[in-house]
Amino acid sequence: MNDADQSFIAEALPAFVSEALEQIAGIEQLLLQLEDAPDDRELLDALFRCAHTVKGSAGIFGLDAVVSFTHHVESLLDRLRDGVVRLTPALSTLLLKSNDQIRALVDAAAGGRPASAAQRAEGEALVAELGRAAGMAAAPAPAPSAPTPATPRWHVSVRFGPDTFRNGMDPLAILNYLRGLGRIVAIACDAEAVPSLEAIDPESCHLGFELGLETDATRDRIEAAFSFVREDVALQIIAPDADPADFVRLIESLPQTPRLGDILVSVGAISFEQLARCVARQGDLAATDAAATPPLGEILQKEAGVHPQVVAAALNKQQTTRDAGAPPAADEQRFIRVQADRLDAVINLLGELVIAGAGAALLARQSRQETLIEANEQIGQLIEEIRNGTLQLRMVPIGETFARFRRVVRDTAAELGKDVALEIVGGDTELDKSVVERIADPLMHLVRNALDHGLETAAQRVAAGKPAQGRLTLSACHDAGSIVIRIRDDGRGIARDKVLARAWERGLLEPGVTPPDADILKLIFEPGFSTAETVTNLSGRGVGMDVVRRNIEALRGTVTVHSEPGQGACIEIRLPLTLAIIDGFLVGVGASKFIFPLASVLEVIESRDATDTPDAQGRMIMELRGQVLPVVSLRALYGLDSAPPDRVSVLVVKAGASTYGVMVDTLLGQHQTVIKPLSRMFRSLRGISGSSILGNGEVALIFDVNSLSLLAAESSARHARVATPS
Amino acid sequence: MPRARSTPALPAELSIYTVAETRTAWLDWLAGVSAAPPAKLRAVNAAHVDVVDGAGVQLLLSIDRSLRQRGAALRLAAPSATLSAACEALGAGALLAEGSPA
Repeated sequence: MNDADQSFIAEALPAFVSEALEQIAGIEQLLLQLEDAPDDRELLDALFRCAHTVKGSAGIFGLDAVVSFTHHVESLLDRLRDGVVRLTPALSTLLLKSNDQIRALVDAAAGGRPASAAQRAEGEALVAELGRAAGMAAAPAPAPSAPTPATPRWHVSVRFGPDTFRNGMDPLAILNYLRGLGRIVAIACDAEAVPSLEAIDPESCHLGFELGLETDATRDRIEAAFSFVREDVALQIIAPDADPADFVRLIESLPQTPRLGDILVSVGAISFEQLARCVARQGDLAATDAAATPPLGEILQKEAGVHPQVVAAALNKQQTTRDAGAPPAADEQRFIRVQADRLDAVINLLGELVIAGAGAALLARQSRQETLIEANEQIGQLIEEIRNGTLQLRMVPIGETFARFRRVVRDTAAELGKDVALEIVGGDTELDKSVVERIADPLMHLVRNALDHGLETAAQRVAAGKPAQGRLTLSACHDAGSIVIRIRDDGRGIARDKVLARAWERGLLEPGVTPPDADILKLIFEPGFSTAETVTNLSGRGVGMDVVRRNIEALRGTVTVHSEPGQGACIEIRLPLTLAIIDGFLVGVGASKFIFPLASVLEVIESRDATDTPDAQGRMIMELRGQVLPVVSLRALYGLDSAPPDRVSVLVVKAGASTYGVMVDTLLGQHQTVIKPLSRMFRSLRGISGSSILGNGEVALIFDVNSLSLLAAESSARHARVATPS
Repeated sequence: MPRARSTPALPAELSIYTVAETRTAWLDWLAGVSAAPPAKLRAVNAAHVDVVDGAGVQLLLSIDRSLRQRGAALRLAAPSATLSAACEALGAGALLAEGSPA
């Protein structure tokens, strides 16, 4: 291997690793799906393709450990495909473990380290097991059954896609496999489709074949020979008892036009002798007058007596190919891989642009020049559109993250001796990629928790009059500018008395004090509630629910828990859609500016007389269309020391299921808000999720409406506790 | 002058990994063919090919096509068993010279 190769490999390796990991994740999902449908041929084929792709591309990079191990997996998959071996749960576990091993090997290769001794031992054990599962002896080559004269003769027409070689596939190997199904009685290569040496890209595949295959195999078996290249091949199989119409359709659908006569011969519509006569005659005519060459179709019809329907189709095909000129470009450009940090850089710049734009707009307004203001408004609109478009680029469906839990649920449930079905709802709900990445760990913890503590064993469930199989549901949906993720189980629920007892024991509550029901469940998120003693190695890993809550709050999210004794528990996580830029609503209290996420603002009530006075925690009540609306005064809640104005406004905001009002001095309107994280000093500030810089350089704090409502609601309880020391 | 060039032999490996290189070498040779006296068949030493795949056979078909445009055709002389088998399997048996071990 020379230096150029070395540097090519070093450059391309990260791409290989990321693609291989995708394939490996694909293998895992396919295996889990196969458990529910062990006979699904498509899934088996797809599984085989994934494994083969990993092996093939690892081979290009000389990762021998990956290649040789994957080869054993592939052999077993082959036996599965042949129906020699059936997929049992034990086999599925073996394959999942093997897949983990492939992942470990790829990871090791990515890190440039050789596999550890333990890994090698594990690998060898797995290879032995794979061998046993595949039935020891190597699969005997499918014996070409001596076809009797009565063996049906199929016609196979195949055009391999240009990327066939680059995808590590070889038509030669595929045809050799096909040969195993019976006997290829005739094969013609579409040599016309291969460009001349000057024009060819030798690494693109231009091969196409017409062949007659005598076999007793079914159409599915013949098709399966092409399953590696299914997405990149034009394949047509014509049954032995086909009528001319089938050949007509074949001709019509061939992607390129070899010469008409070739088509007809290769599909067996006419004999070679008939064609030779026609070609010779056309050659003679061409020699006398090239321009006046009669169409071959005409000659064929006249001389060979070919079915006119077949000729018409072939002629038609030639005509359309000529008309079309260049072959139509495939829609291969639908996806572009972009490095995440490039996207982040653009989004950061966009944030600066939004702030600078707001500054320019402010200056324009101050200058009172109509045209300048107008121009700035137009720029502002464009910035907003760019913002929306750019943020959309980072949105990814949460389904991929959810899908990872299939394996977790399967393995964990098996380990605990429980039978659990995982249901995923709303997997196509989109949210910011950075949020998705950071929510995975807390979700993992919650899922393990539900499996470990929430769901009972089959026996316990049956005794409780529930179906033996437990159900765990992961769902996601959008709601008022947030995404709501729920982890729901139908287990035993959270025992309030146990929670209470533990809270007393841990000193989280004064012993004997019983808070309201809703607050009891919140105690499980308190630091120090879960300890090493209560946490098994499954749900634990040394972190408690308080870490989960902290992680979620760091994403400006909230987490709440609902539980119905005996019926199960539901943990609800509410997260902002994006961490970067939001539409905000700007308000003022005294000299301070605050921003509410626009999506959470339901309505505003402008300029009421400030007649009511809030209580010490800034809370009061007002009437809104006959309904009682709790209202919190920011001035009182945060102790802002400026004189209250005569008139105030109220913002009606929605926080989860509840609605409340927020009293402010002035309404400053909609504002594109670039979210800046709070510094360490302010991070403990409750109710506030971030800060933003306004056009004039002022800083505004951004509210998190959910935690603000919790803060306002709980201040009474805390106050009560402080006020009545026992 | 290109006409001095002798016909290159086929490499031991004629596969996707070598076709780009092989093509470059044969393009050089092909430039000389047009100037060479016409010969119906261009025999090419194919005895040493021990690795061949679909891409390799495709390259041979491509060479053949270029030669045909010049009024000649490619013939593989004394092809190795591997190469003969591959050509037969891919319906390109016409490239094999008579007397091949197929």
